[in-house]
Amino acid sequence: MGHLSGEHLYEIFARQKREDRLEHIGTVSAPNAALARAYAWQTYDEQKWFEMVVAPRDAFEPVNRDEEPFTLSPAATR
Amino acid sequence: MSASETAGFRTADDVPEEVRDDLAALLLSLADNKRLLGMRYSEWLLGAPTLEAGIACSAMAQDEWGHSRILYAMLKDFGEDPGHLEHEREAAEYLNCELLDDPPDRWTGLVALNALLDTALSVQVESLKDSRFEPLHYKVRKVLEEERFHFEHGRGWLARMGQTPAGRTALEEALSPAWQSCLRWFGAPDGGLIARLHAAGMSDAGPAELRARWIQRVGPTVHETGLGLAELDESGAWVSAMELDWSDWDGARRRSGGGSLNAETLAAVRGDKNRTMLMD
Repeated sequence: MGHLSGEHLYEIFARQKREDRLEHIGTVSAPNAALARAYAWQTYDEQKWFEMVVAPRDAFEPVNRDEEPFTLSPAATR
Repeated sequence: MSASETAGFRTADDVPEEVRDDLAALLLSLADNKRLLGMRYSEWLLGAPTLEAGIACSAMAQDEWGHSRILYAMLKDFGEDPGHLEHEREAAEYLNCELLDDPPDRWTGLVALNALLDTALSVQVESLKDSRFEPLHYKVRKVLEEERFHFEHGRGWLARMGQTPAGRTALEEALSPAWQSCLRWFGAPDGGLIARLHAAGMSDAGPAELRARWIQRVGPTVHETGLGLAELDESGAWVSAMELDWSDWDGARRRSGGGSLNAETLAAVRGDKNRTMLMD
């Protein structure tokens, strides 16, 4: 997905039942957490989720590799 | 109050005659506003600033159209024909806020509808959650659950656009008229439909209280955006910085007097192009 300046990628995690583990289900591009939450809920609405959370990709600390695809900054993915 | 003064009503026939038409008018107003708001959202599916915003508009359009369908259907119990309400009325018969008469020509106009008017509709819907008209209870919960992220979307866009002076100016132009319209939409404080419904236990608040709830909901966000529309008073409550102006208020239609939906909107909202396919 393309994004405007000032946007960040947010990773989305969700689970359908309380006993499930949170799973990575997708990504949205948004300028702030409020829009990331709205976009995540409105885009990934094919399931009835027990819980959904979003986290900015920038917050992820690479452990074993620092090259693409996952740890690239949004500016570098264009 | 005695038990008979707080007892619930299971059908429209059980509702006291003196407020039955008022309740039907409120449901029709909510249905019309949601149907038209959904249409305004849908108009930005392909023109929103980002793909995500377009998807959000699609989701919000579906929510609003679903809610309006539920509300039109409820009016059958009041002796109305939902098919007629949805497809056969003239522009002046729609009980919509004037903000929905014409499509917004800019994204900031849609953000104003999203952050302010959509929230005003939800504040009004929320006031019906413990209504003495019991068929509303489950439906109100479902509507509010689906509305949960609509304000979040508006809030996010206000924050995004409020970051620059040019963005704030554009927001000010779009939000100022919308602010006045939403303030008035809850009705004049001295009587009127909303006050009568509150007095009869159909809703849990009158116009002034609903207005206060709405300002409490949208005020902090609007203030954070740098718009001078809301301010804190000495007691710590959010209040409007804009005086209410009732000069062209039509109390019966709960909107500015004189105007109505434009012709293109009317044709689209009632499905004129598909009229030959309408059967029973």
